[in-house]
Amino acid sequence: MAHGPRIVHLDQLVIRPGSGWARLPLIAGAVGFVFTIVSIVLARSSPESTKQFFHSWLVAVVFFLCIGLGCLFFVLIHHATKAGWGVVVRRLAENLACTVPVLAVLFIPVVALGMYDLFHWTHADAVAHDRLLQVKEPWLNETGFWIRTVIYFVVWSGLALYFRNASRRQDDSGDEALSRRMARFSPVAVAVFAVTLTFAGFDWLMSLEPHWYSTMFGVYFFAGTVVSAFAALTVLTLAFERSGHFRGVVTGEHFHDLGKLLFAFTVFWAYIAFSQFFLIWYANIPEETNWFLSRLHGTDHNPANWRAATMLLAIGHFAVPFFFLMPRTIKRNRTLLLIGALWMLAMHLWDVFWLVMPNLHREMTFSLLDLTSLLGVGGVFLATAGWLLSRGSLVPSRDPRLVESLAFENI
Amino acid sequence: MAQSQDNTQEPVAGRAPLIVGGYDFRSLTEAVAVPVERKTPIGWWFFFLPSLAMLGLFGVSIGWLFWEGTGIWGLNNPVNWGFAIVNFVFWVGIGHAGTLISAILFLFRQKWRTSINRAAEAMTIFAVMCALVFPGIHVGRVWVAYWMFPLPNQMDMWPNFRSPLIWDVFAVSIYGTVSLMFWYVGLIPDLATIRDRAKTRIKQIAYGIFALGWRGSHRNWLHYERAYLMLAGLATPLVLSVHSVVSMDFATAQLPGWHTTIFPPYFVAGAIFSGFAMVMTLMLICRVLFEMEDIITMRHLENMAKIMLLTGCMVGYAYGIEMFIAWYSGNPYEQFAFANRALGPYAWAYWIMVSCNVLTPQLFWFKKMRNHIGWLFISSILINIGMWFERFVIVTSSLHRDFLPANWDYYQATFWDFASLIGSFGLFFTMFCLFARFLPLVATAEVKTVLPEADPHQGEELVRVVPAGAGTEPAPQAAPAGGGGS
Repeated sequence: MAHGPRIVHLDQLVIRPGSGWARLPLIAGAVGFVFTIVSIVLARSSPESTKQFFHSWLVAVVFFLCIGLGCLFFVLIHHATKAGWGVVVRRLAENLACTVPVLAVLFIPVVALGMYDLFHWTHADAVAHDRLLQVKEPWLNETGFWIRTVIYFVVWSGLALYFRNASRRQDDSGDEALSRRMARFSPVAVAVFAVTLTFAGFDWLMSLEPHWYSTMFGVYFFAGTVVSAFAALTVLTLAFERSGHFRGVVTGEHFHDLGKLLFAFTVFWAYIAFSQFFLIWYANIPEETNWFLSRLHGTDHNPANWRAATMLLAIGHFAVPFFFLMPRTIKRNRTLLLIGALWMLAMHLWDVFWLVMPNLHREMTFSLLDLTSLLGVGGVFLATAGWLLSRGSLVPSRDPRLVESLAFENI
Repeated sequence: MAQSQDNTQEPVAGRAPLIVGGYDFRSLTEAVAVPVERKTPIGWWFFFLPSLAMLGLFGVSIGWLFWEGTGIWGLNNPVNWGFAIVNFVFWVGIGHAGTLISAILFLFRQKWRTSINRAAEAMTIFAVMCALVFPGIHVGRVWVAYWMFPLPNQMDMWPNFRSPLIWDVFAVSIYGTVSLMFWYVGLIPDLATIRDRAKTRIKQIAYGIFALGWRGSHRNWLHYERAYLMLAGLATPLVLSVHSVVSMDFATAQLPGWHTTIFPPYFVAGAIFSGFAMVMTLMLICRVLFEMEDIITMRHLENMAKIMLLTGCMVGYAYGIEMFIAWYSGNPYEQFAFANRALGPYAWAYWIMVSCNVLTPQLFWFKKMRNHIGWLFISSILINIGMWFERFVIVTSSLHRDFLPANWDYYQATFWDFASLIGSFGLFFTMFCLFARFLPLVATAEVKTVLPEADPHQGEELVRVVPAGAGTEPAPQAAPAGGGGS
């Protein structure tokens, strides 16, 4: 066993000029810009389209926000547990988390314009005749909604920027005190993150059906968020390896771990989703079943329609990946893991669609605006991520645990 | 013994040692095996005899229950479920820390688990035993307790498969079985060690039978490791499923205070919380009594305190969300149930629960408190008091004032309620004392794997990092050998 150590050149761990990554911000930015304009133009064609646009946009923004927020969670938990294995992929997560402030810019003006179309509880005439909405008014009112929304975004952006900047400062100084400071601060940040994420889920998604309530909803939103983040992180790491940037840096061991976490949170999501559904189904109390009924029945004209969507969620977000991601071989095989991770991203998008759209359509329908909004927001998201990634090293180059992470083996 | 080295300060690069005191493979075996082999220390009797007395009380209280019926308990019409279900849920919960330590922390490569997993798993099994007593005795007609099981019988009577109570029977018995297997498989190499060291014929035969002919060969270890990984994989969903099913005993009902969707993960978090508190209590005593302060170190205690902080915050989160949603629902019954919980006749129990479960662990934000043996001991007891009260609050405060005010009543526990609660602690501690006396308290083979000399790459440079702008001159920066895991 006389082969020498693996040599890793840190100066090569930056986005190379001329590679596809260097062009990403421009191309994705152009796509994002064009499709945002297209979405706005389409939205203005009729009142129905306007309503559709607000819902489609909400789906798209929440989907990408989940990726950013889940990556923020990964960074926080990584510091809190003083983890070693994941240092090589942590910078990617730090950068994806910093897309949150940009997504806030996409979220706030559109949702502000769409409040009336999105949230039934903003209709003064409806509130006047609805005792439940009157009771909820101290929470479900526009001022409160916006104060809270701004707080969520400020907190998340602050956390994301703090952890990215501290980590990048360490690239320059190699200061070990930064590692200690991040490790000390991260548990507090996790607590703040948990509370803000829960209430964001309540405000933005649960209150779309203002009569419905579920104590589990915050946990459900969290579970999906983490699934999407691990899927996105896996895809991004694979892409950097394929483009030659991460060759010899990440190994099958790291993919194995990313795959395990993706699998674990997929199962966790299923556990939470099932518990929420099952308890409501079993007790069969009309105030609560209502929300699921609108996802299990279509119209008289097409009764099985949303039910098919729900079935797809159960099978596609749990049953299929449960068996697919379980074997060790798949998590260590680049192509198969890529398929699994892309599939989970698609399923998370489906989850967000399923949470939002029954609010608009009694019968499941797709619109061109779903696609254009996704491309619009997705373009901006990718452009931001690409720009952030190009601004420095792709790994925390002087993190004291970098060597541990590079040498890491699953045993 | 000299003051132990402080291993609670994790260096920023590399890992602090998990085991201190300069142990090597041989002295570690000595340290674990000697307490099993030496004459029973007098201190052990101080724990064993009171436990045995409490177990006797358990026997008396169950005997009186069988003779007289459930009327000896404080049950009344709205509160048909009293201490029996509270104790059941409490004990099942205690067990969860053992399974979390042996299965989930194993999958997360948390190597500090090796020093405490044996005792924690033993605790799990004894806790499940205590738990299982209560469904067995609570029905009054104990001679038909077997009706709980789906056994074919001459009356064509089957339990209602749609009832969460029968899911409990399945969930807890599977849990008990898998925990027992997990614990026993882990014990085999250590039993063989004790067998090989035994001086008397009786001991050789007794330990020899249970060591199943273990020879420590390569093939033995290969099969052992595989079985261990598989059992860990199987036990992981059990950590979540068992207490989720227990929570459904309540959450599938329509009763406000019971029916809420967050119950499954909230119960699981609470179970791990109380279980860790119990492991903490037991380990604090055992490490002193068996002179194992260098094997179950301050670092292990601190890590347990961190998990207690985490799960305590989760439980606090659930209390908060329940309150918020009860208000947000706009449902007057929901709102009443929670207002009544915090301000009604059981407010005293509710606030004991909140202060023990949510406030107590908050001190663990400070390292000083995580390293304070006295506070660790006090808080572990307080947390278990709080977690017992949590189940008490859920059961009684929801039941005692239901939809019809004409049915309202106040549940007052009787002497026999307390006798069976204290008695169940007697069963638990008696079993644990016997375990600590006759079986190795620490998984020696596993702890050896975290000693530095067990690392095949010890001192070897696996990766060399060339810093940016350094040309071709590689800076020597050795890969840290192994990894402790925090």
